Amino acid sequence: MAEEQKEAKPKKRMTATKAAASIGPMVKEFITGTLQAKAEGKQKVAYTFIVCHHEEIFRALDVIPVWTENFAGICGAKRDAERFLQRAESLGLSRSLCTYALCGIGFDQWREELGQMPPEAPWGGQVRPDFMISSGQILCDPRSKWYQASQQFMPDVPIYNIDLPYPLFQENRDHREALGYYHQYIVKQLRGLVAFLEEQTKKKMNYDRLRELVDLSDRTWNLIDETYKLRRAAPCPMGTGDAMNTMVPINFMMATQKAYDFFVDLKKELEEKIAKGEGEVENEKYRLMWGGGLPAWYALNDFNYFNSKGASFPVETTYRMVAPLHEMDIPETKDPIEHLAWRWLGYWTFWYDKAKKRPGSEPDVERLINWIEEYKIDGVVMHEAFSCRTWHVGLIWQLHQLAKIYKPIPVYMIGKDGQKGKVYRELPSLILESDIIDITSYSEVDTRNKIDAFVETLESIRANRAT
Amino acid sequence: MIDKENNIFDTVKNYYNDYGFRAKDLKREGKKFIGYVCSFVPLEIITASGSLPFRVRGNIHEPITKGDTLLETIVCPYYRSVFDLSVKGEYDFLSGLVIPHGCDSMVRSFSAWSYGLPFSYFHFVNIPSVCDESSFEFFDAELDAFRKSLGKFTGKAITEEHLRQAIRAYNENRDKVRALYELRKADPPLISGTELTMTLTAGSSLPIEESNDLFDQVLTEVKGRGKSPLKKGPRIFIDGACLDNIELIKLVEELGGNVVADTICNGARDHFPKTDVGGDPIHALAHRYLDKINCPKTYRANRAGTFEGDIANRFGDVGTYAREFRVDGAILYVYKYCDPFGFEVPARKAYYQSLNLPLLHLEDIYSAGTISQLRTRVQAFLEMIGQ
Repeated sequence: MAEEQKEAKPKKRMTATKAAASIGPMVKEFITGTLQAKAEGKQKVAYTFIVCHHEEIFRALDVIPVWTENFAGICGAKRDAERFLQRAESLGLSRSLCTYALCGIGFDQWREELGQMPPEAPWGGQVRPDFMISSGQILCDPRSKWYQASQQFMPDVPIYNIDLPYPLFQENRDHREALGYYHQYIVKQLRGLVAFLEEQTKKKMNYDRLRELVDLSDRTWNLIDETYKLRRAAPCPMGTGDAMNTMVPINFMMATQKAYDFFVDLKKELEEKIAKGEGEVENEKYRLMWGGGLPAWYALNDFNYFNSKGASFPVETTYRMVAPLHEMDIPETKDPIEHLAWRWLGYWTFWYDKAKKRPGSEPDVERLINWIEEYKIDGVVMHEAFSCRTWHVGLIWQLHQLAKIYKPIPVYMIGKDGQKGKVYRELPSLILESDIIDITSYSEVDTRNKIDAFVETLESIRANRAT
Repeated sequence: MIDKENNIFDTVKNYYNDYGFRAKDLKREGKKFIGYVCSFVPLEIITASGSLPFRVRGNIHEPITKGDTLLETIVCPYYRSVFDLSVKGEYDFLSGLVIPHGCDSMVRSFSAWSYGLPFSYFHFVNIPSVCDESSFEFFDAELDAFRKSLGKFTGKAITEEHLRQAIRAYNENRDKVRALYELRKADPPLISGTELTMTLTAGSSLPIEESNDLFDQVLTEVKGRGKSPLKKGPRIFIDGACLDNIELIKLVEELGGNVVADTICNGARDHFPKTDVGGDPIHALAHRYLDKINCPKTYRANRAGTFEGDIANRFGDVGTYAREFRVDGAILYVYKYCDPFGFEVPARKAYYQSLNLPLLHLEDIYSAGTISQLRTRVQAFLEMIGQ
């Protein structure tokens, strides 16, 4: 089949930190580890999604999570997703749907058809799961549809779907009024997951172990927060390009000592860099925020291109799926399941109160404003991935709202009447357009032209500010 | 008001073409209209509050302009059109808007709606993604919160009796819709698909009593017909999401097909399921809207243990309607960027195959610009099944 041709290998992205450079082999080891575990048959392996706050439950019952979004991302980063996407299309799935899911379904269908891994499957391929844990949340429709579609090709693999909602921000509604029944529901859903996993693994949950793992995650959350806040330093010691690597322990390795240790090391490395005045960029001229959107995994080199123009990314909203626990309103409880449910709600409602205090603000916008201030940001860059509504719808509106309510740079001008007046300049922003893994949507030339034009804008602002 | 002197379909056409004119009249009389999108919004609660529900719709003939300055083009094209019309002021007569958790496009754009439109009331109703005991408990609480919030806005406490009255009125409305569908069983059907969709769309812009009155008159008119407005042709089933305009159905009927049944939101999906009476009304509404509305957004566990059993459970309504309305072929009409429906296409195709029912799968973008392409494909399909 012509579509089974692979794309040319991308150039490796340069990382600023040793920690980020260590991620590639770590992921490869993880992928091959799932294949080995399946072959040995000692542990169950399960397809599942990141950001469900259920890792502790998986690990307490020795279930190995197979992060299907991760595998699709690897296919994308290796520029080897197209053949799986085309296979999904041949089944009747539209290219406009989530391409992570299309890649996963295309891969599953091919593997099941062959009875073995597709030829030259990235890093040995994605293991056939013992079961699949999907999740209906308030966001991401594909999360409850993807495995259902894959099940067509492996009907013997059961699915358990957990519902994990949170109260959506509504300007005139106090979300606390709803937290009680949301919490009750999430607790029941997580207990349902425990019962399903117990049945599949033929093991009983050890709640002391679960409590220890939850505690380990909590400590890791706080450590990540402290570590990432070090990036406020100027020059910034680590940028978003590296954070797209260090998202791995946050999202795929939570509730493991390895993830905790990783951030101990990263924190130390950043502290050392700060002490030496070493930045991601040798001569830092602009500090940018990655203000929304999943990255184009096949084009992470674009971060190096930004760097080559003197632009660093001290902060990103993408994949920073933790928040400081001590700043959340989490009730004391000895029940780890109840704690997980409170942490879930605490994370998603983290910016609600702050947003309510600022007229016109909204949680996503509020987070942008806070981080623009904290990280001394000169401009915002976003990425619109055409196939993902979950993270990419609303970004234009957020920028629009940001421009309306946040005017950080007062500039004094002499008007025609000779009077001195104060005007506010909006923070420049750039929206890049392509996809998470569908390389056919990407043009390096266009992207870099846009980056060049944006950097020129930043430079002109810098020059004006200097005068 | 309904003009009882003329053919009722002239009135229907007026309501359809000048969508919302009755609501504007009533607004001048002091009535409050609450807009809604999607079949998941419990209309009974809005009616019980003394307000009037109004389904906001899109317009495939209107280019999307202002909406695109605030919302990405990767959202559901139907929803994009609705948003565009709203920000252009088409629905400024509304006092509020209720958006449910119907899909990512609705959730992610909630702030763009609630900050950008001049309505005094906004509410988001969270819909669970599963049907189990705990999700019904949750949904009871969520609907109760909506009841209280709307009561606060209207200044009227919504009692159980108010809800029961509204449930009765909507169940009556659904009985009438069912009776209209019965008229499609004749061959050729006594009412065309175009007339029916136009009638149901018109009904969703009216107070429930007026909608019931309108449907009664349409029933009387159609039952009194000597013959069908259509010639005998392949009996077509439309499967898909919200089709609030008549263009596709009209196209099928112009090309010689008879549209006789559907699962669309503005058709059987929304109008067939009734609310149970006699128990707790909030619980009954939770059950109707979560369990009985068969939308792909809701995850339904595979209890059969086989793929064939699973699709028979998930899409069984399609098979039932196909038999009941003696369908010859089906059109699966899916909007681009629609994840809930889009991911079901291979399974739905397999289900139609199991029924031995010819299927045409169309992916479209809610725009009049694609009509000529659709014409070619529909024509070829009708020729194929007509052979």
